[in-house]
Amino acid sequence: MAIELQQVSYSYADRSLWKLTALRDINLSVPTGSMVGIAGATGSGKSTLLQLFNGILKPTEGTVKVLDVTIQAGEKSPKLMPLRRRVGLVFQFPEQQMFEDTVEKDLIFGPLNFGMSLEEAKARARQAMLDMGLDLALLERNPFKLSGGQMRKAAIASVLAMDPEVIVLDEPTATLDPISRAELIHLLERLCREQGRTIIVVTHRMDELLPYADNWLVLKEGSTAFQGSVKALADDPSILEQCGLTVPQSLRYWRAVADRFGLTDEAPRLTAESLAELIASLPSGSGNSSEQHEGKRDGHE
Amino acid sequence: MNEKLIIGRSIETGSWVHKLDARAKITGMLLYVAVILLSRSWMAMALLAIFSIAVMASTRIPLKYFLKAAKPLRYLMLFIFIVQLLSVKTGEAVLTLGSWSIYEGGLRLGAFSVIRMFFLITFTALLTFTTTPGKLNQGLEGILAPFKKFGLKPDRITLMISISLRFIPTILDESQIIMKAQASRGADLKELPLKEKGRMLVSLLVPIIASAFRRAQDLVYSMEARGFRMDAPRSQYHRLRWGIFDTIFITMFIVMGIAVALV
Amino acid sequence: MNESYEGQGLEGEGQAIISLDGVSFGYDPEHPILQNITLSISQGQWVSLVGPNGCGKSTLVKLLNALLPKSAGEIVVSGMQLSEETIGSIRQCIGMVFQNPDNQFIGATVEEDILFGLEGLCLSYAEMAERLQAYTTRLGINHLLSKHPGELSGGQKQRVAIASILAMEPGIVIFDEASSMLDEGSRNDLLGILQDMRAEGKYTILMITHDADEILASDRVLALHGGGLAADVTPAELFRDEELLQKCHLCEPYPWRLTRELQNQGIHVDVPASEKELIDTLWP
Repeated sequence: MAIELQQVSYSYADRSLWKLTALRDINLSVPTGSMVGIAGATGSGKSTLLQLFNGILKPTEGTVKVLDVTIQAGEKSPKLMPLRRRVGLVFQFPEQQMFEDTVEKDLIFGPLNFGMSLEEAKARARQAMLDMGLDLALLERNPFKLSGGQMRKAAIASVLAMDPEVIVLDEPTATLDPISRAELIHLLERLCREQGRTIIVVTHRMDELLPYADNWLVLKEGSTAFQGSVKALADDPSILEQCGLTVPQSLRYWRAVADRFGLTDEAPRLTAESLAELIASLPSGSGNSSEQHEGKRDGHE
Repeated sequence: MNEKLIIGRSIETGSWVHKLDARAKITGMLLYVAVILLSRSWMAMALLAIFSIAVMASTRIPLKYFLKAAKPLRYLMLFIFIVQLLSVKTGEAVLTLGSWSIYEGGLRLGAFSVIRMFFLITFTALLTFTTTPGKLNQGLEGILAPFKKFGLKPDRITLMISISLRFIPTILDESQIIMKAQASRGADLKELPLKEKGRMLVSLLVPIIASAFRRAQDLVYSMEARGFRMDAPRSQYHRLRWGIFDTIFITMFIVMGIAVALV
Repeated sequence: MNESYEGQGLEGEGQAIISLDGVSFGYDPEHPILQNITLSISQGQWVSLVGPNGCGKSTLVKLLNALLPKSAGEIVVSGMQLSEETIGSIRQCIGMVFQNPDNQFIGATVEEDILFGLEGLCLSYAEMAERLQAYTTRLGINHLLSKHPGELSGGQKQRVAIASILAMEPGIVIFDEASSMLDEGSRNDLLGILQDMRAEGKYTILMITHDADEILASDRVLALHGGGLAADVTPAELFRDEELLQKCHLCEPYPWRLTRELQNQGIHVDVPASEKELIDTLWP
């Protein structure tokens, strides 16, 4: 397990009149090398949860285990600096945290803080740029002179440059156009599958992450409403509505097809392409205006 | 925001002081400073104390809130008391330890300084407890209005103050997030030695300032899109109205001023 | 590079309430952002303005009320030609809701924010009180009047922005990616508000957006690309045009995508209105 939370609660201003309990009794396991989606309505505690993963916040109750570090509520916590490098936390609108006069300097800021040598840091920065699909020529540019999409990627690259084992992102696609959003999620997936990093994404747009995430956590008012595989979620999406979220269309269409044919053991088809292929392979009804159903294609999901 | 900073919060109780015109309260505050400075005897201090406590009580705000307002400065008050006690050597010696003495004059001035400071803080708190920042701002504009003939532009000052009141909490919240983001990249401002702190401060200040400029630009678009123009005429929804109680309020301070000066 | 669209415009039947003729703009004359834009929008239309980021959509709408100065061309809004003298009146006709809920929140409280525009109109106390009551009730925020924006969610702040704008009673309301920083629930709320506005019939709506649902709800899509108008089509035509979608960095809504993929599999259906409809169509 990359991350494990056991009965974790977090309250702001714990000992005063202004106490606000943001998270209540959370139990959570994130397998190493997986891609996890976290969903929940505004105020459900998502942002607070993320800050527990790299020790920015310490639990007021329960135990947080991240990689080989354990943070126990009420006890003195271990040195957290090394953890901060291994768990990269990307806040919302990360481009607003850039401050150096060249992209390269911003990217090496993290690695240098964690004790990497200058050469190592620069090499990591270059690699991170490539991983994020950015042109290396941009390293010399002033970050404020990049386009919005480029700045976003560069800011994520500045966390990636620290070479973290786990990357946690809070709404990384917010305000991007649909094509850039799909591209970014795809890049994150590659970091997971090709580089073995554990990727955790908080999102309001479940539909764009559904085809990629292995597991989902759905929060409601600070508690876990659902935790499990994407298949388990697809088997009963009504939990989303109970948490004040809309069921994404890809999930609704899949559910409709699966229910019609009783496909309880099938892996869910959460892209239009894969669902269309599945539909093509199913026995046709007479409403289907084509005879080509016989000639079904080879490729299936 | 910090619960320690109780000053600056407004506490609603609907008392007569709450309903006073902000201009009266601000003027009263200025007169009060004069009253404090004119109080130079034990009798005057007693009168000051009784008067102040009476006014505070009339706001119907529990007195403990006023004490809470003064609390952050208790060490400063103690420090001032001790400095006065030890350095002023007029009058008879009250206490003698070997070759070193505490004099009556020191005791008196020390006590007076503390009392003055205490009431200054608690009375300022009274002003903020009973008047919202918006109203205070409006009151300020009203008080500065007569200075227009000297070329002063009070509405610009008021605008600057209202935009600050609007954005200071927001910017403070944002700075919290930026600190956390930079800490996540290994720049924990709290855990670093002083020398490093300076460099890391840049990683906090540049984003905040850049963000402030961005906000300012967006704000200008928003204000202009809503038809705002500097110095153009505007109507006012919440108008300040001077009433009989406002006159009474001011008069109280004038009377007190005379009283403490004579005693 | 200038692209101009030479097809059938969708100006609609009503009076043109906004028209642009040969409008250009650039911070640097060597590199214009917008070149020679000519279009018109009729009263009551709901128009989506789309295009890749940086193509000038936000710039274009800011030219309409002179937040930015045009370099060339004529702009006519509500029968008035845009000039130094008419800026004030034109700004009264156009209300703008911007993307960032915080940066357009002027007042230190909700009430102050709504009053900001009203006081600028020099309205009487009675008039302001009435509008304050009416529009805050309508947008469901009248229990929030004394709140500082720091206590509000993004969705609530945008509702305050809309209330502030509508209270000024403009005929034209422009939304510049007003939902893109909001969570899903608030985005749906906002769409609902727009649909209510449209039902009232008093407003002409111009919406810069990437959101497929918002585009689908509109009557007409203007696509900007390369500094010019690349297309003037209906939402349906937009979503059927793969090349145009690519150009504008947009994606079709899921049901449209599914229909296209089914077509690739040799199955021809109309775009379903719901999953149930698709099931019933394919397997009655």
